[in-house]
Amino acid sequence: MSTATLKRVVVVGNGIAGLTAADTLREAGFDGELTVVGDEPHPAYSRPALSKALLLDHADMASHRLPPAGHGATELLGVRATGLDPDRRRVTLEDGTVLPYNRVVLATGSRARRLSDLPGELTLRGLDDALTLRGRLAARPSVVVVGGGPLGMEIASGCLAAGCEVTVVSQGVPLVLQLGPYLAGVLVGAARERGLAVVETGAARIEGHGGDARVVLAEGPVLEAEVILTAAGDVPNTEWLAGSGLTAKGAVPVDTRGLVRPDVAAVGDLAAFPTARGVRRVPLWSSAIEQAKVAARALVRGDEAPELDFQSYFWTEQFGLSLKAVGDLPVEGAPEYVDGSPGGGPALMRWPHADGTADAVALDYRIPVPRLRRMTRAAA
Amino acid sequence: MRIVLDRPRCEGHGLCEEAAPQLMHLDDEGELVLDREEVDGADAALANAAARVCPVAALRVE
Repeated sequence: MSTATLKRVVVVGNGIAGLTAADTLREAGFDGELTVVGDEPHPAYSRPALSKALLLDHADMASHRLPPAGHGATELLGVRATGLDPDRRRVTLEDGTVLPYNRVVLATGSRARRLSDLPGELTLRGLDDALTLRGRLAARPSVVVVGGGPLGMEIASGCLAAGCEVTVVSQGVPLVLQLGPYLAGVLVGAARERGLAVVETGAARIEGHGGDARVVLAEGPVLEAEVILTAAGDVPNTEWLAGSGLTAKGAVPVDTRGLVRPDVAAVGDLAAFPTARGVRRVPLWSSAIEQAKVAARALVRGDEAPELDFQSYFWTEQFGLSLKAVGDLPVEGAPEYVDGSPGGGPALMRWPHADGTADAVALDYRIPVPRLRRMTRAAA
Repeated sequence: MRIVLDRPRCEGHGLCEEAAPQLMHLDDEGELVLDREEVDGADAALANAAARVCPVAALRVE
């Protein structure tokens, strides 16, 4: 379909994936009627900032704010999509609105995976969650964070910096699954030095106790704290697509251009796309942006549009350290030091593969990310 | 339109450079350099795209 016959596009989701898709549709020449639907009342914001600067820096309430959107779309915010009919090309909203489309972008993201329905179990996924936690931290409560992944550890770091006594409950050593043992060792070492308590467990659950929540470990011990927060992964928001036939294994599988079919794209945390490690979700900021750019162009230009050439970029800030990584984490074994040395201080590291490519990591090391990307390539 | 950088906020992720390499780049130390500050038309759209992918909101276009 040429852009002349492409009249109406609906973007469902107003996170960075939906926002980038809407922007890119315009860049690609789509000048028809564009509608963006977002279930939160807020304009799009930076989710990575919620567990970093927004918790850490008590003077700074703007670290998550993005510049106003320039795509000129009709924005329907604070309303949830409840259905998609891909044959009749219609999106239905919870208030009964029906939005017909020529093309649709599915970008409803994911939500925190909860371990209970108890109100005493906090999670951190959206802006309101972050503001709630920030408010609670002012009284310096004791905190137990269940989940030793990057999000759980960033939150724990923020709580420690706010002056709280903090325990992280983790299946095995925190961060090992996501970063590998070497980098996990560096970050967990810094965390312990700053006073983080780490409890390893086979499994943890949340149970109610006199109106509050508490953490029960598989091994028997029970942990109580004034704030119980879980960071146990995310669940794609695909329920509204039930009956559309577009979901599989709780996600929306797409092709190398982010398309489910020629008139339906899926981008961001709910989309599973082809990677070197198979078809999978990569729920990261940079991933959402890259997916959205490719898919929006493909909706306008079809097979002429380039395919996704994705290389993961991940960063975290915690316990006074910053880490930037390009490539496939977790990394196994010890790195080559391109700059710096083991034992602390800024370092630039490389984990080479047999084919000459590598994973590259900058720890407390200021480096342009394009240069970090170049370090991952095989020498010419 | 004018691109404004909040330098203390910039963490050198470089996503802005990937969005608008014609307008800005990170130098060897990872410091963002605005090659152009005054933009209009298509360049203003690029500048906005660069500002919106910044995860720490270090760029504004005003």
